[in-house]
Amino acid sequence: MKTLETDVIIIGGGATGCGVLRDCTLRGINAVLIEKNDIASGTTGRNHGLLHSGARYAVKDLESATECINENRILKKIAWHCIEPTGGLFVTLPEDDPTYHNRLLESCKFAGIDAKEISIKKALAIEPNLNPNILSAIWVPDGTIDPFRLASANILDSVERGATVFTHTEVERIMLKQNQVAGVQCYDKVTKEYFEVYAPIIVNASGVWGQHLCSTAGIELKMFPSKGSMVIIDYRINNVVVNRCRVPSDGDIIVPGDTVSLIGTTSRKVSYDKIDELIVDDDEIDVLLADGEKLIPNVSRARVLRAYCGVRPLVAVSGEMDGREISRGVVLIDHKERDNVQGLITIAGGKLMTYRLMAEMTTDLVAKKIGNNKGCVTHKIPLPGSEKRVGYTKKIKYFSGIPNSVVGSTHYRHGERVHNILSLQKRNYGLICECEMVTLGEVEYAIKNLKVKDLVDLRRRTRIGMGPCQGELCAYRAAGLFTEFGQFTPDTSTKLLKDFLEERFKGMKPVLWGDGLREFEFTYWIYQGLFGLGLVEEEEQ
Amino acid sequence: MKFDCIIIGGGISGLTAGIRCVKEGLHTAIISSGMSALHFSSGSIDVLGYINNKVVYKPFEALDTLTGTIAQHPYTKCGKPLIIEALQFFKQECETQNVYLFDNENLNHFHVTALGTLKPTYFSQRSVFNEDVYNRFKSMKKIVIVNFEGYRDFHPQLAAAQLSKHALFANCEIIAKSIDMPQLQDLTRHPHEFRSIDIARIFEDEENVYRIADAIRLAAEGADFVVIPAFMGIHNFNQIHNMLQSRTRLLIYEVPTLPPSILGLRIDNALKSRFAQLGGVYIAGDKVVRAEINNDVVQAVYTANHPENPLEAKFYILSTGSFFSGGMISEFNNIYEPVFKLKLHYEPERNKWYSPQFFYKNSHPFLEYGVVTDENLRPYDSNNNIIQNVYCSGAILAHYNPIREGCGSGVAISTAYKAANQIISLYKLMR
Repeated sequence: MKTLETDVIIIGGGATGCGVLRDCTLRGINAVLIEKNDIASGTTGRNHGLLHSGARYAVKDLESATECINENRILKKIAWHCIEPTGGLFVTLPEDDPTYHNRLLESCKFAGIDAKEISIKKALAIEPNLNPNILSAIWVPDGTIDPFRLASANILDSVERGATVFTHTEVERIMLKQNQVAGVQCYDKVTKEYFEVYAPIIVNASGVWGQHLCSTAGIELKMFPSKGSMVIIDYRINNVVVNRCRVPSDGDIIVPGDTVSLIGTTSRKVSYDKIDELIVDDDEIDVLLADGEKLIPNVSRARVLRAYCGVRPLVAVSGEMDGREISRGVVLIDHKERDNVQGLITIAGGKLMTYRLMAEMTTDLVAKKIGNNKGCVTHKIPLPGSEKRVGYTKKIKYFSGIPNSVVGSTHYRHGERVHNILSLQKRNYGLICECEMVTLGEVEYAIKNLKVKDLVDLRRRTRIGMGPCQGELCAYRAAGLFTEFGQFTPDTSTKLLKDFLEERFKGMKPVLWGDGLREFEFTYWIYQGLFGLGLVEEEEQ
Repeated sequence: MKFDCIIIGGGISGLTAGIRCVKEGLHTAIISSGMSALHFSSGSIDVLGYINNKVVYKPFEALDTLTGTIAQHPYTKCGKPLIIEALQFFKQECETQNVYLFDNENLNHFHVTALGTLKPTYFSQRSVFNEDVYNRFKSMKKIVIVNFEGYRDFHPQLAAAQLSKHALFANCEIIAKSIDMPQLQDLTRHPHEFRSIDIARIFEDEENVYRIADAIRLAAEGADFVVIPAFMGIHNFNQIHNMLQSRTRLLIYEVPTLPPSILGLRIDNALKSRFAQLGGVYIAGDKVVRAEINNDVVQAVYTANHPENPLEAKFYILSTGSFFSGGMISEFNNIYEPVFKLKLHYEPERNKWYSPQFFYKNSHPFLEYGVVTDENLRPYDSNNNIIQNVYCSGAILAHYNPIREGCGSGVAISTAYKAANQIISLYKLMR
């Protein structure tokens, strides 16, 4: 059996885990990260991708609001290529409590969030699709952030600086030697091999899944899973974040993200044993569409692409509470203090927005335990892709000969790393995914450099299959490239294709009507009718 | 404008019905809203490929089983003699346009898909099935599957690996090759303009065909059989096929690709030109938006481009296809037929429309939704009254699953033929 030794084992490849890995690596601490699925495949990748200004929390949770605005400013510097500083609006509808408007303004001022009241006319000029019947509007420095790119950039930087990352690898259990952690037993789901990693420190950054993980070390950590569902609308129907100015509730935000818009979010309590098989309920879709339409009336005419849900990683404090009532504040647990288990740290709670701060707090504790006295620098050193800020027009000029839209999309997604991806060779910039302008070169780069082990991973790195057609043509095109560029047999590529279509279908099912149903019928015709992909397994037998 | 027969929908079904009507002297119009499902079809004609998820080898025997058990199936309404007649009619009409369809003497044969799976079908074009292919097949030792560098929609390695697994190819070596011909890619400005249709145009140039033949010969040394993505021309496919085969001395076989499917396009072109040749009126790029119905008889239809000018006919055939083609429209919790608001077979609860998995064994229920008809293919309105002068054909019909049963084109052709037959006999009575 393969074994490995390191200083710190980080369990969980969400934003927090990736952040801890990078922070450790930048402080010269050897670290190994283990993720059971893919980077950003859990809660990190299943939210609305909002770059919070903090205004949403300002009225009820000042601490969170302040953290948000501070991190908002930092991320705009170190991760600009993962961010669109769109700005956002808080709008009051005729049916909403009009006093919330002033409370929000005051609270924002208190938290240091640059919020200002604007006229309805101006709000409509900024966002022409907005409901014209709004009573008031506030401008806030909200934006959007791509959690996949953010987490991946943290991994990329860490790996380039010497860290080790295992994806699709399950931690079977935490091994203890008396009251001290010794390491973890792992199972690689792709190679189907067991191996062990030894380290004196283990960071549990596995979010809601931490309850099970801690139990393997005999520790009780009670999580409070709360499901949040969202629907994605085809095409970007708004250009700034639109929030409803009221006490947080279902369906009160529409976030533009890349080429689409997203209506969020519901909040429903779910039991822990269901967290891996969550589905979006039909009535959640009803609520989201009905409330979304109140903010932007166009919603009712837009096509719904898919619906998905995530689990909020809230640590239960006490009693029966609604998911929104619990603080979304950061929970950092030194299990030596709490459970007398030396070397185990849990980092949970918080939000995507505060991942870097959470990583800093965690790594401070790690550093203290192993006697490392280098301070945190993650707020200063840009992530790969964000090193230099070069404008779009300059890049177009540099890559003259390649269609502008291709250069623009690649630059948008990968920042400065566009130079590692695009080349003037004709084959390199041939489009694999036309919806999202993903080139063959980008697929090659992702397969070779970004820990891509299947088509779903590739989607998270490149947006392949995320557009209107949900992978109709690009899925097959990209599947073959796994054999060409990676260590994948043709049979594996075919299997990845089948798995990918099944994964896409999960998010399409709850919204399968109208053009979505038409598109699905077409996709089904191609992959089952024309290609006979469903026959593959039978022929093997 | 007045016609004897107006056919709404210009896919394989509408065109087959149109050719049949116009041949019998009916003044016939087809109103087509755009490209049909032929553009993403295999270009082979499936009659009946599967029963209970098992491959069917003898489709006409299996038809007896099917029509004996599913009373509402469109094939049951057609009956075997008519289905056989319709298929022969279709084959002959395609031949007039130099698209030759081959069958395996009343048995199904397999065609190879781009993923290397095998699908049972009844008629195939010459580059997919013919006597040579059949005879040479038994002694085949080496197959080379070829792609052209820069073409994104075909991965020969995947096809080769899958095909090798099949018992039929146990004694055969199957390898994948890529042909790099920069001069072909240079004919297009951007790499994403190198699609099947672009390459098929390149094949239409004789000089290119010679160069391609030489490249294929080099790549396929020692092979008996060469499989290429279906590129061999849109118009002169027979000549190109002959030229390639004689110059390479190899059997050249075509595999249908991601859309646009050139094999399907050839059938589409053949049917359209046949219809036009016989004097049919083909109204392209327009859509019927409204119908005027009096006492269960359709008086006229109106289109998007001519909302004020009625198009009148004695008979109508509705061949508008399934959801994808716009024959039916699904809403949040409702499905309707937009032209005549016909009675449909479907489940009202949306979560029953689909199966739990994409590749679920029994396919998806929504594919069996459609218009309910009497045994003469006449539909009902929402009050359950038969609309007297309308007939339905093809994918808009309910109670069959074209993909699970592998019968899409067979049903399209047979029901078109049946609908046309009835109109023709009534028309003759009226004269």
